[in-house]
Amino acid sequence: MKKQFVGYAFISPWLIGFIIFTAFPFLSSVYLSFTRYNIVQNPVWVGLANYRTLFSGDPIFWHSLNATLIFAVAAVPLGVIAGVGLALLLNSNVGGIGVYRTIFFLPSIVPVVAGSIVFLSVLNPNIGLVNRLLKAGFGVTGPNWLQDPTWAVVTLVMLSLWGVGGSMVIYLAGLKDIPAHLYEAARIDGANAFQRLRHITLPMLTPVIFFNLVMGLIGVFQYFTQAYVFQQAMVNQGGAPDSIHFYALYLFERAWRYMDMGYASAMGWVLFLVIMGITGILFAGQKKWVHYEN
Amino acid sequence: MKTETTSKILDLGTKVLRITGWAALMALIVWTVVPPPVPPTAHKRIPVHVWHMWSGEWLPVIENVADEFNKSQDKYEVIPLEIPPGDGDQKFLLSVSGGNPPDVMVQWTQAIDTYAQSGILQPMDTMMTPAEKHHFLYDDYPAVHNNGWYKTHLYGLTVGFDVYACYYRPNEWRSAGLDPDHFPSSFEALTEESKKLNQYDAAGNLTRLGFFPQAFTNYAPAFGGGFYDPQTGRILLDTPQNLNALNYVVGDYKNIGIDKLLRFKAGMQSDDAASWPFIQGQLAVTVDGEWRVLQMAQYAPTMDYRVAPLPPAAGGKPLSSFSVADFLTIPAGAKEKEGAWEFIKFWSGLDHPEPAAKFQAKFCWLPTSPQMAQAPDYQAFLKKYPQFRTFVKLAASPNVVNIPPVPYQMFLNDRILVAGDLAERGAKSPEQALKSLEAEAAREQARRKGLGYDQ
Repeated sequence: MKKQFVGYAFISPWLIGFIIFTAFPFLSSVYLSFTRYNIVQNPVWVGLANYRTLFSGDPIFWHSLNATLIFAVAAVPLGVIAGVGLALLLNSNVGGIGVYRTIFFLPSIVPVVAGSIVFLSVLNPNIGLVNRLLKAGFGVTGPNWLQDPTWAVVTLVMLSLWGVGGSMVIYLAGLKDIPAHLYEAARIDGANAFQRLRHITLPMLTPVIFFNLVMGLIGVFQYFTQAYVFQQAMVNQGGAPDSIHFYALYLFERAWRYMDMGYASAMGWVLFLVIMGITGILFAGQKKWVHYEN
Repeated sequence: MKTETTSKILDLGTKVLRITGWAALMALIVWTVVPPPVPPTAHKRIPVHVWHMWSGEWLPVIENVADEFNKSQDKYEVIPLEIPPGDGDQKFLLSVSGGNPPDVMVQWTQAIDTYAQSGILQPMDTMMTPAEKHHFLYDDYPAVHNNGWYKTHLYGLTVGFDVYACYYRPNEWRSAGLDPDHFPSSFEALTEESKKLNQYDAAGNLTRLGFFPQAFTNYAPAFGGGFYDPQTGRILLDTPQNLNALNYVVGDYKNIGIDKLLRFKAGMQSDDAASWPFIQGQLAVTVDGEWRVLQMAQYAPTMDYRVAPLPPAAGGKPLSSFSVADFLTIPAGAKEKEGAWEFIKFWSGLDHPEPAAKFQAKFCWLPTSPQMAQAPDYQAFLKKYPQFRTFVKLAASPNVVNIPPVPYQMFLNDRILVAGDLAERGAKSPEQALKSLEAEAAREQARRKGLGYDQ
C-alpha cells in the first residue's frame, strides 16, 4: 500500500496535470456540446439542438467533413505506401545509409508552419520553383497548385508525404525486428526478392502498418495547421479554395471566430465518434490482414 | 597527520557547501514570496491598461497617443500593451473569461455585435454627456456614428476606419494612350479603358494587370449594393445590385481567364508595405485603402501616383466604398471604466476633435468629423499627402458600406467572401452563389433562434 502511495506521489505532477488539463476539459466538452456557450457567459442547456443543426441544417459541416474524407482517402494510404517504401529502401545495407536515413527523417522535425510556408513558395504557380523547373525542363505549364480546388488538395497531400519520415522510422524499426531466419529459410526454399517481400516482409510488418494506419487516420481527421497556414497565406490571393476547408478548420472557426463553443464541442464529439467508428472498423478488419508473431 | 588535515578540509568544505545551499534556498524563498519593490513615482496615478495589436511602424504612434494622454493629466496613467494580432481575439476573450480584461481593448475584429450580445462590452452611449452624444450623432461622419451599435446602445467607438479608392500612375496611363487627368467617370468606362493597361509576356502570361478585380465586397457599393439596410435593419444579400456587382467581377475573371488571373495573383509579391504589387508595377489600377498613402511615402517616395474614387456603375452610387473599422471598446469587466472612457474621449476627440487630429494624421487615418478634418494638424497632413484628400471625401460620404451589425457578423462576413470566391472560380454562377448565401444566412438565423438567441 505504502509502495503504491509512493508511486502515485511520484507521478502526481503528471496525474494532476492530466486531470486538470485533459480529463476535465474532455469530459466538460460532453456537457458543453448540449449547451449554448460562448466562452464568456455561463453555458445554457439547449438539449440536442447543436446536434440537430449539425445533421440537418448545416451544409458547411457536411462540406468540411466531405473535404476531410477526400483528403484522408488520398493522404493516409499514400502515407503508408511512401513510409513502407522508404523504410524498405533505407533498410538496405549500403554505405552512408545513416546519412540517407537522417535526410529523409529531417522533414518530419521541421516545424509544420515553416514547412507549409516553404511549400507555398516552392509551389507558387507563377514564380515557384516546381513550375519553373517543369517549364524549363519539359516545356510544361505546371498546375495552379494552390488555387485550383483539386490541386490544392494534392498540394496538401504532398506536404503530408513530405513529413513521412516520422512513420518511416517506425517501419524501419519493424523491419529490423523481422527475424533473419525467416529470410534464410525462404532463400533456401528458393524465394526471390519479391516473394520474400510479399510473403515475409509485408506480413511481418502488418502490425506496424496497422499502427501507423490508425494513427494516420486519427491525425488526418484533425488536420488543421497546414490548412490554416494556407488559408491565411492566400487571403490576398483570392482566398484558399473551399476544397481545403477541412473539418478541424471549421471547428476552430466556430469556436473562436463565431464564439460558438457549444456548437464546436458538438462538432468535436461528432469527429470523435467518426474517428472511433473508423478505428473500430479497422480493428474489426485487422484479423484478416494483420499477422502477429504469437 | 596528513589524513587528519584532509579530513578537516573536507569537513570545512562540506560546511561551506551546506551554508551556501541553505542561503541559496532562503534567498529563493524570499525572492518568491516577497513582492518586488515598486519603483517610486512622482504622482501615484490610477493605471489604465490598454490592449492593442499594432506593431512595427504603428507601435510608436499608439505609444505616442498614450504618452500625450499621460502628459495631459495627473489622475490616470495609460499603460499600452501590444498583443499579437494572430491570436489577439483569443487572448482578449480568455482575459474576459478569466475576469481580468484590459480597461480598453482596441478591436480590429468586426465583431462588436457578437461581443455585445455576449455581454462582454460596456455600453458607451450611456457614458456620454448630452453634448458628446450630440457631437457623435450629428457631427461625426456616418461611417463613424452608424458603426459599433448593437440594438440601441453603442459598444464600439470608431476611432479609425478604412475606405477604398483607385490608385493609379499617370505615366503608365500616358504610355497606354490614356489621359490621367480625366479619370473615367463610370465603372464601365474604367473597366474598358484599363484593358489598355494590361501587359503580357511572350508566353501570353499577364505581367501587369490594368484593373485588378478584387473581392466583390469592394465593388458592391459602386453598384448601389451593400449588405445591410440601417433604416429597416434588414440584411441584404441576394439583391439585384449585389448580383450586378458579382456578375461584373465574374465577367472580369472570365475575360482575363480564371486560371490566368489566379496564377497572376499567386505570383504577386506580398501585399505588405514595400512589396505591394502596385509599387512593384504589377497592378496599374488597384482599389486599396488609405493607409497605402503613408506606405507609398515611405517605400516609393519618388513614385508619381494619384488616387480617385471608384466611379459608380450604372445605377450605382457616387463616392461609395466598403469599410471596416477599428473600435475602441471597454470590456464590461474592466476595473477602471472611468479612466478608460477618459482615454477614449481623448484619443477619439469626442470632446476636442482638433487636438485629436494630430493622432489621426500620425496614424495616417481618416478624420472622424469635419472639425477634425479642418484642424490645422490635419490640414498640414493633407498638404503633405495630397492623395489623401480623395479618402477624406469618401470618409464623409453617406455611401460607405459596413459589415452588417448582427451578432453573427463574422460568420456572415466569411460566407459573403466564400460566395464571391465560389462565383469567381466558376464553381457556382453569381445567381447560385447569392442564393446559397441568402440560404446560409437564413439557416444561421434559424439556428441561433433555436438556441434561444433573439438574433
